[in-house]
Amino acid sequence: MPLLFAHLMQTGFGGFYDGIAHLFLTPSDLLLVLGLALLAGQQGPQGGRLLLTLLPLSWGIGLAVGQRWGLDLTLALLTTVLFTLVGVLVALSLRLSAQVLAFTVAGSGLLFGLINGFTMPPAPSGLPLDVLGVVSAVAVLSVLISAQVAATRSTGFCIAVRVAGSWIAAAGLLSLGLLFKA
Amino acid sequence: MSRFKLRSWLAIVVFALTLVLPRTLSAHELLPGYLDLHETAAGQYSVLWKVPLQQGKRLPITPRFPEDCQLQGDLDSKLESSAWIYHGSLSCTSSLKGKPIVIDGLAAVGTDVLVRFQPADAVRPETHLLKPVKQTTILGTDVDSEPSGLVAYLRLGIEHILLGVDHLLLLLGLVMIVRDGWMLLKTVTAFTLANSITLSVSAIGIVQVPTAPLNAAIALSILFIGTEVVRFMRGQTSFTLRHPWVLACGFGLLHGFGYARGLAELGLPHHELLLALLLFNVGIEIGQDLFVVLVLALERAFRQLQIRWPLWVRRMPAWTIGCAGAYWTIETTLSLIKGGV
Repeated sequence: MPLLFAHLMQTGFGGFYDGIAHLFLTPSDLLLVLGLALLAGQQGPQGGRLLLTLLPLSWGIGLAVGQRWGLDLTLALLTTVLFTLVGVLVALSLRLSAQVLAFTVAGSGLLFGLINGFTMPPAPSGLPLDVLGVVSAVAVLSVLISAQVAATRSTGFCIAVRVAGSWIAAAGLLSLGLLFKA
Repeated sequence: MSRFKLRSWLAIVVFALTLVLPRTLSAHELLPGYLDLHETAAGQYSVLWKVPLQQGKRLPITPRFPEDCQLQGDLDSKLESSAWIYHGSLSCTSSLKGKPIVIDGLAAVGTDVLVRFQPADAVRPETHLLKPVKQTTILGTDVDSEPSGLVAYLRLGIEHILLGVDHLLLLLGLVMIVRDGWMLLKTVTAFTLANSITLSVSAIGIVQVPTAPLNAAIALSILFIGTEVVRFMRGQTSFTLRHPWVLACGFGLLHGFGYARGLAELGLPHHELLLALLLFNVGIEIGQDLFVVLVLALERAFRQLQIRWPLWVRRMPAWTIGCAGAYWTIETTLSLIKGGV
């Protein structure tokens, strides 16, 4: 079992809430969304809007493709490296061009969505509520955090955001160390 | 694309959604099953088994007792408004304490079952909540360490509101027609107090409302709030838009009956019902408040990101509420005309 990885949780509230819980109980996914939201917020409202447009969309596409393939892959090393890098970018508070941010967001969303899809069996009939739950949770979390970061310009808050980024990077480095040790 | 063409396409999309979405996201009814096992003599139990009906059909769930137990005779059964009620007796070679009870078929129907077990030597019965992901429980063991017992009702309350698309749409509509924080506080408080009152009087049995007219009235309330949201977005006004708390109070009374329906039909003993009612109500309020806070936080986030939604996106919530309300109103009214009770 790879580190920082969880299968679809069963909340007992149905597929939609299982999907929401999946994001919050899968540390690598959660850290990536937090990192991307902080990074997009650091770029201002435009970054937040770009994140809201691209991340749920790419995540959803990745999920749909992943469910169709249904491979037994977690790509733990790649996902850990990715959210570590996002954490580093946040800690450095780098200004990124819209193209670079879009590429980072869409690429991450596709990859993480794809891996989510591998772990979720397709819905036998009706709406894929678990997929809707995951995508909704990604959209809501990313828009709430990026909006707050984009709107708050005080020095103390900017420092706190960079510290949060460094914690994400540190969690990633720790996970990488444990992965290599395992 | 010309404005006329765009409107035509939107009309087609909205019409299609009207037909498809409410059917998929049907108005939720709390439909827990209920199994009561009361020890009358050593190893002898009276059995009460309530199987909820969904769209008039008995849910395919069945209790499975330990192998050393035998059901005595045929279970007496009768049909009530929304459940089949079975009475019978169970004879076991030894006590049910420490033995498992399984509810077969629970995963397929996605509902919960409350199991009440009262050994002869116990002062109070113990309550277990079985769910699609946990179809078995061990009777007489350590029930307080898991989210069972009376806390199960708290969970049922949260579940009822989170899965109740009809209730959530009404709340969304109320939040959308409120102009400021003070009015929002008054509106949410009015809704909470009103639904608490009817939930209480209905669950205790002081007031009984037939299911079919109640469903129709709840559906109509959602249709009404949809039209009020549209009116609000057009800049028009009305008595309910000037005083949304009055509307919240009226509809809170109505939806409180809806909340109570499932709980009352469990037929719990009076002393347990009061505490269960309180926890169920707290669960509903937690779910409602979470939803309202989330809607407000999202609204604020969209403002902070300076998002300018196109007109059709801004109108989508009102259309969704109105379309769903219209669909459910027609569906429940037809059911009422056909003789539902």
